[in-house]
Amino acid sequence: MYYIHAIQSMNNSDVFKQEDIHQKLVEVSENPTLVTPDFKTYIAPTALRRLSPILRMGITLAKEVQAAVDQPFDAISVGTGLGCLTDTEKFLNVIYTVEGDVLSPTAFIQSTHNTIAGQISLDLGNHSYNMTHTQNNLSFEMALIDGMLCCEEGSKNVLVGAADESIEFLNKLKPSVFDSETLFTTSATFLAISADKMESSIAILACKTIANAAEISVETNAFLAAFGLSLEQINCFVLNTNELETPANSEVFHIDDQLGFNQSSSAFAVHVAHDFLKSSTKEFALIVNRSSNNYLGLILLKNDKTHN
Amino acid sequence: MDIFITGLGAISTIGNNVDEIYASLLAEKTGIRKGTLDHSMKYHVGEVPLSNEGLMEHFKLKTKGSRTALLGMVAAKEAFQGHQLMDEVRTGLISGTSVGGMDITEEEYRNYLKTETFDAEKYKHHPSGTTTEQMAEELGITGFVNTISTACSSAANAIMMGARLIRSNQLDRVVVGGTDSLTHFTISGFRSLMIFDPEWCRPFDETRKGLNLGEGAGYIVLESEKSLQLTGKTPLAKLTGWSNASDAYHQTASSPEGNGAVLAMTKALSVAHLQPTDIDYINAHGTATPNNDSSESKAFINVFEGKVPPFSSTKAYTGHTLAACGGIEAVIAVLSIQNNVLFPNLNHTTPIEETGLIPVKQITRIENVRNVLSNSFGFGGNNSSLIFSKL
Amino acid sequence: MSELKENLKAQIIEQLNLEDLTPSDIKNEAPLFGDEGLGLDSIDALEFIVLLDVNYGIKISDPSDAREIFHSIDSLASFIESQK
Repeated sequence: MYYIHAIQSMNNSDVFKQEDIHQKLVEVSENPTLVTPDFKTYIAPTALRRLSPILRMGITLAKEVQAAVDQPFDAISVGTGLGCLTDTEKFLNVIYTVEGDVLSPTAFIQSTHNTIAGQISLDLGNHSYNMTHTQNNLSFEMALIDGMLCCEEGSKNVLVGAADESIEFLNKLKPSVFDSETLFTTSATFLAISADKMESSIAILACKTIANAAEISVETNAFLAAFGLSLEQINCFVLNTNELETPANSEVFHIDDQLGFNQSSSAFAVHVAHDFLKSSTKEFALIVNRSSNNYLGLILLKNDKTHN
Repeated sequence: MDIFITGLGAISTIGNNVDEIYASLLAEKTGIRKGTLDHSMKYHVGEVPLSNEGLMEHFKLKTKGSRTALLGMVAAKEAFQGHQLMDEVRTGLISGTSVGGMDITEEEYRNYLKTETFDAEKYKHHPSGTTTEQMAEELGITGFVNTISTACSSAANAIMMGARLIRSNQLDRVVVGGTDSLTHFTISGFRSLMIFDPEWCRPFDETRKGLNLGEGAGYIVLESEKSLQLTGKTPLAKLTGWSNASDAYHQTASSPEGNGAVLAMTKALSVAHLQPTDIDYINAHGTATPNNDSSESKAFINVFEGKVPPFSSTKAYTGHTLAACGGIEAVIAVLSIQNNVLFPNLNHTTPIEETGLIPVKQITRIENVRNVLSNSFGFGGNNSSLIFSKL
Repeated sequence: MSELKENLKAQIIEQLNLEDLTPSDIKNEAPLFGDEGLGLDSIDALEFIVLLDVNYGIKISDPSDAREIFHSIDSLASFIESQK
């Protein structure tokens, strides 16, 4: 069991540094815009001038989570489905439009997926394990599995997160590429996890990914059965699918309604589930993240404030 | 817990499979030459001489994909040959890539800039994760499928992730490594950084000017002891040490003293329960950029307290294959252990003045290669070290 | 020369996204690199090479040659003048 000691998100709802975010979600609009703090209060101007939205979000969220937990992170594990798209597109424009012998390198340098985690380590002066996972919409689950493994191996304070940014070009490609009618949005969530309970009461019990998943209810029931649980005992579902029949008395959040299409949405789903459990006496929350090609991610959260 | 290696697969400019690559290594034959494509013809690169159609036909691939995915399928299938899928053996695929389907995306995007029209379907290949999913489909692997993208250390990190999941009893067997194709995007990117050598690269040489890019893929199969009993495979070597650390110095440059590299090598030795004197050969990252080779050399001197074991960079054979290099070099490390041979650092004449270190310069056979250290360092100060050991 | 220096400052602000600065914030003799000056780094040095190529047609093939040239606005301006 890995306790969540701090969690922060940024997306098209006003959620950064907010509590009870499950009550503050707004439906994704026609023209979703990222709600941000003044990044200058988090990032030095010499660094900020180069950074795309995904990097600004990642660094700011990591710093805010680091500030909430005293110890420096002893591992950093980040997921991203599509990576640093702004800089990738910018550099594609550079190579096909700039004539001359020399090319501006900044966009290329910042186009690699691990720029997010790398910039976090650079900004925090952190020399520990630094990993970037990219498995489409299961990227956060992969980062979380790695983060939990770091805890199992002895890390005391692990930063896990996921970030994805939208660029205008992406919306031209739907629905054919991502099997989604909803708009692409920009979103990131970062959290600190540890095997030590300390003041936290919300923990991640398990995370599982399945390639070539069978029917969602079959996979979900099997996943829960390993913890002696059934669907009826889950109090809160945060999901991106209608294929799972949820119990009548449970709280259900359809994450796509708030977030549109974002490949890091399951990280934000953990934040929603975390705040729901924290503000209640309910015990279990389940995040169900399916993709169009039968990949499935399942994350189980437990509130042990009132239970043991 | 022991992590056994039971399969090797690789493709690069020096060979379409492990045997061909081994023969080229022994022949001290580089595969780097003038590029043949529009975007590569101005440079010395390590191209795989088969087209995408050629790869599909020659290797009888069933699944369509980007060039990165096709190269990955070729090497992963070679590594996994003779392996059977079975329910009792939880089998995964963890692949490193930095460009994913960029080879297709860049063509499509160029067309879009010219004509403002696009074929959305083509972009389906773009995500790095999709590259791995296409490989998984070709191999028939379901269950755990993951992609690591940490630039030039991606494959080494994929190998490390696989070993850790086996040690934690989450997987029994896993195909791990990396793949990257040569793209206009990466060639332009390294050109913008001004770190190409216009001639053949010279790792660890005082006169080195920069790197030559390459393409390819390298995979190995890792298995637990329990898995070996079920698969009946004969292990070739063991993976005993691994570590990743962050240099946290600069977005692209390594710290002058190679702090992240020192941390990665030191921790990998500790995971393997080995002393520096147990290492018989280092397959260095050795990209031949002024910055990497100087920083890595100083890190060697630091970790090995001046007594640096025989080392070389094999990138003067293959070119720098980016996310694939840790996979191809893992295969080379196992070949070194299996054959008690150290591979030379081609094109070396003058030691780096500041360190005086001289790499292995010709094929060297020694009595026993017990442990090989393999380094892979990526952008963002992402430093990884792996240790391969004799059974 | 002073017009060249003012142009350079504006071009640097644009090329390096120094959006919070105005040309008057950059002193002619102050170091551009390192913590003492504007805090620019080796990536900016590459951007300077692009700037010189695009705006002045000056080619620099080895970034390590350029350290002294890029020291300050003064040194950059004298270098550009010397290439005319």
